[in-house]
Amino acid sequence: MSNRRLIPVPSDQLLPSSVSRRGFLGGSAIGVGGALAADMHAVNGLRAEEIAGELRRGEKHVILLWLAGGASQLETWDPKPGVKTGGPFAAIPTNVAGIQVSELLPKLAQRMQLTAVIRSLNTKIADHGRGADLVERGRLDDPGLRYPDLGAVVAKELGRLESTVPDYVSLYTSTEGRRKGTSGFLGARYAPLFLAENMAPPNSALHEKLTASEHQDRAALRDLLSKRFTAEHRGSTVGSLNSAYQRVQGMMASAGLFNVEQEPAEVRARYGPTQFGEQCLIARRLVEAGVPFVKVARAWWDSHGQNFETHLELCADLDHCMSVLLDDLQERGLLEKTLVITLGEFGRTPGINASLGRDHFASAWSCSLSGMGIRGGVVHGATDAEGHTVVDGEASAADLFATILQAVGIDHTHEYMVGSRPTPLADFGSKPIRSVLV
Amino acid sequence: MTASLAPPLFRRAPQQLGTALLNGNVCRLIFRSLWPLVLFCVAAVSFAVAAPQQPDENAAAQIIDTAIDQQNATAGITAAPQADPDTLLRRTTLDLAGRIPTSKERDWYLQLPPETRQQQLVDRLMQLPDFDFHLRNSLDELLLPERPNDGEFREYLLTAVQERRPWSRMFREMLLAAPAEGPDKGATQFVRSRVRELDDLTNDTAVLFFGVNISCAKCHDHPLVADWKQDHYYGMQAFFHRTFTSKKNLIMEKPFGGVKFRTTAGVDRDAALMFLNGAVTADATPAYTDEEKKSAEEQIRKLEREDDATAVPVSFSPRQALIDVALADQQQQYLARNIVNRTWARLLGTGIVDPPDQMHSGNPASHPELLRALGEDLVSHDYDLRRLIRSIVLSRTYARASSLAAEAQLPAAQTFAVAMARPLTPRQFASSLLIAARSADTWPTVEYTAAKPEEWRQKRTDLENQANGWMREFEQPSRDFQVAVDEALFFSNNDQVQNDLLRDGTDRLVGVLKSAETPQLAARQLWSVVCSREPTESETQAVIDWFARSPERRVSDVQALVWAVLAGAEFRFNH
Repeated sequence: MSNRRLIPVPSDQLLPSSVSRRGFLGGSAIGVGGALAADMHAVNGLRAEEIAGELRRGEKHVILLWLAGGASQLETWDPKPGVKTGGPFAAIPTNVAGIQVSELLPKLAQRMQLTAVIRSLNTKIADHGRGADLVERGRLDDPGLRYPDLGAVVAKELGRLESTVPDYVSLYTSTEGRRKGTSGFLGARYAPLFLAENMAPPNSALHEKLTASEHQDRAALRDLLSKRFTAEHRGSTVGSLNSAYQRVQGMMASAGLFNVEQEPAEVRARYGPTQFGEQCLIARRLVEAGVPFVKVARAWWDSHGQNFETHLELCADLDHCMSVLLDDLQERGLLEKTLVITLGEFGRTPGINASLGRDHFASAWSCSLSGMGIRGGVVHGATDAEGHTVVDGEASAADLFATILQAVGIDHTHEYMVGSRPTPLADFGSKPIRSVLV
Repeated sequence: MTASLAPPLFRRAPQQLGTALLNGNVCRLIFRSLWPLVLFCVAAVSFAVAAPQQPDENAAAQIIDTAIDQQNATAGITAAPQADPDTLLRRTTLDLAGRIPTSKERDWYLQLPPETRQQQLVDRLMQLPDFDFHLRNSLDELLLPERPNDGEFREYLLTAVQERRPWSRMFREMLLAAPAEGPDKGATQFVRSRVRELDDLTNDTAVLFFGVNISCAKCHDHPLVADWKQDHYYGMQAFFHRTFTSKKNLIMEKPFGGVKFRTTAGVDRDAALMFLNGAVTADATPAYTDEEKKSAEEQIRKLEREDDATAVPVSFSPRQALIDVALADQQQQYLARNIVNRTWARLLGTGIVDPPDQMHSGNPASHPELLRALGEDLVSHDYDLRRLIRSIVLSRTYARASSLAAEAQLPAAQTFAVAMARPLTPRQFASSLLIAARSADTWPTVEYTAAKPEEWRQKRTDLENQANGWMREFEQPSRDFQVAVDEALFFSNNDQVQNDLLRDGTDRLVGVLKSAETPQLAARQLWSVVCSREPTESETQAVIDWFARSPERRVSDVQALVWAVLAGAEFRFNH
């Protein structure tokens, strides 16, 4: 029971000084089985390591580079030159002996010591919608239970409740399918701040009719006039309203994080003028300011036709932007606290179709993990000579989900109580891929 | 303060003794210090005196109070006193009309005799179109939570509520999902919106109509609950397995077909049509030859693809069988107890069974005899939801205060000893904001509304429609709800808030307060319109101080003041 947590954890539960509140509120003295037991955990106080964990919140980050539409493993991390499924591109050696990647990733090849490649994903679902659901959540929804996606779980586990920055930001390009991401049963508190064309978060700018001091005075008056009611009506929901208002100034101040023009010209030049480059730069700015999870979606890899031209263009962008991002994070000392993931909803068929395209393929594909918690210069798993099947180290979406959580120090077996249903952070039976973890 | 502000007590004869005892200043003193003890004595006196004959309409309220009081007395738990009249007015109006009271409604309410005040209030609110709108909205939020603006479904629910259809009939109409014209067309939406996912249709029906979440029993017998086996999950699924939609978007059933599942022991089984209470309906499907089956299947494929395909005759309907078996369930009354529990949870913040989808032996009701009694009362009164709602809001349990002194220990939610502060639903919040932001004169008097009901219906319909736009900014509260920062950002910076709610016009509260003679008067107007009560001394002082910032009263200062109360904690909750 000690590894169970309540959903959601109210602010007054996270600090030892006020832990006793929750037990009287949520649990009934009369026959509430699991829920009461979970409450007792809070009543008994948090263990020392959890308190220490709380103090470390806001210091770990994840950047997910989402290759929307599904990138080809054969043109990225699992090249098969010279076989009939291999396509026209060569494999090149990397700066780690024995590891080769596609020649379309020359810059990343020189940073292989930072990255672990998983070549043995078998996620089975090869349609965009459900495939993305599965990969983003590490499992499919159950009837009556909507699971949170990776960003929401990381936001909840690594974000500060009173944070002045958003804890889950999702940046998209306009051509992409605009999947918003979902916080599932974790609720709106952990829903992503979703930004497509407009890089300013909604309602974050001061209204033209107000000055900053009027805005602040008004908020102070609100706090004053809410004091009596809040004191007389304890409970995490009432408290959450005031917490939400307390985050407003910080959220408004953090709107500037989305403005790349605040970066020196040479930094912007390094990332380049592409939208993906600018969004990677925003991701770095957000992480630096304490945002736990940033997703940058790069579209559209769904190359049913002209797969090789598509990858020539998109891999160049990925290779450049991700390399700069890794370098920049490393130079700022952020890479050891930041996990960078490249992942999509699936890979692409080894077979090349009549339009010189590759179709959806979820049975033997690749992703990469770099930075925090990751053993760089490692390849996990293998596919057969033509890339049709996984022959070694098969990993499911749930295993990958568990691996990612472990990399940033989150115990994937921790359980949320959803009503009276224990629900582990990563699906039942998932196993982290130890070989890629430090 | 006079005796009329003493907590109103609604039980008849036994309470009159208590009321007499508690009148006057002595009462206030006692209540400040010793109210728990006093209430306990009052309760004890009530139990000692044999309850006289009650009018039937209040009998269920009496049952509620007896059950709750008895259990608390046994456990030595002291309940909070009755809420003050203003709080009760606001709470009851939010719960029955889906909005805050207008200040004219408050004027009317406060002049009513305290003994009959709540009853008169409830009677009036239940006659207003507001009641139908709000009950419709509540059922909509329960049954189709992911589609908050499904026009057809909402029209169906409104019609059903206006015609006072029994819940059992609404249940039948929604599950039968028969083709219909007019407003009843929307009844099919419950099934239609889930028909593509058999698991959702199965589990949502079990959760929302019967209070039972059997999803854990899909893959294995429920690990924690002896009641739920795989047989139950697949048994429920068997009632829906034949359901499909035609190209013309009609809900249909195939004439044959059943559910097979593999047990955790690896045995393949045919699922029986098993209801949650274990009752099995005999499958009366006639035998089909292989040829007949082939031809029917071909016809079904046509129906799924072509607009003008003819329907396949069906002689046995599993969904009809589910309706029959659920309505015949006299022992456990899943259908009745679920809606009782959910209505209770909506009005009191926590269910008698909590969580409300966990009605099983491993999670007993806090007051099982009460749940049983209310379920039986509902069944014996033809599943009349209005009667159920009325019984709850006329109880003393419903009318308890929600505020608690800082040093007092909070009793567990399921003792119902203290009222809970419940976050407003998006529709309640939006409608209330639109009322609060306007000047009091925008709204008619109670007498005028009574004389011209059609005018009020139109006004209330307009309000409902306007609320549709605003409600999208707010989230439907869930269990352990946490307000998102997005809401605070919306209130803090959105143009609509600044230019609509806080507009400087004669029809707006801002316009009225701007020209209030004194800060004291402004404070009174502000709190009576927004919070349905008089301001406290310190609140009045805060307004005096706020306006002292500048010698002339600036519009921006008035706007800031109105904003601070609208965005405040008190307004956000039903307390």
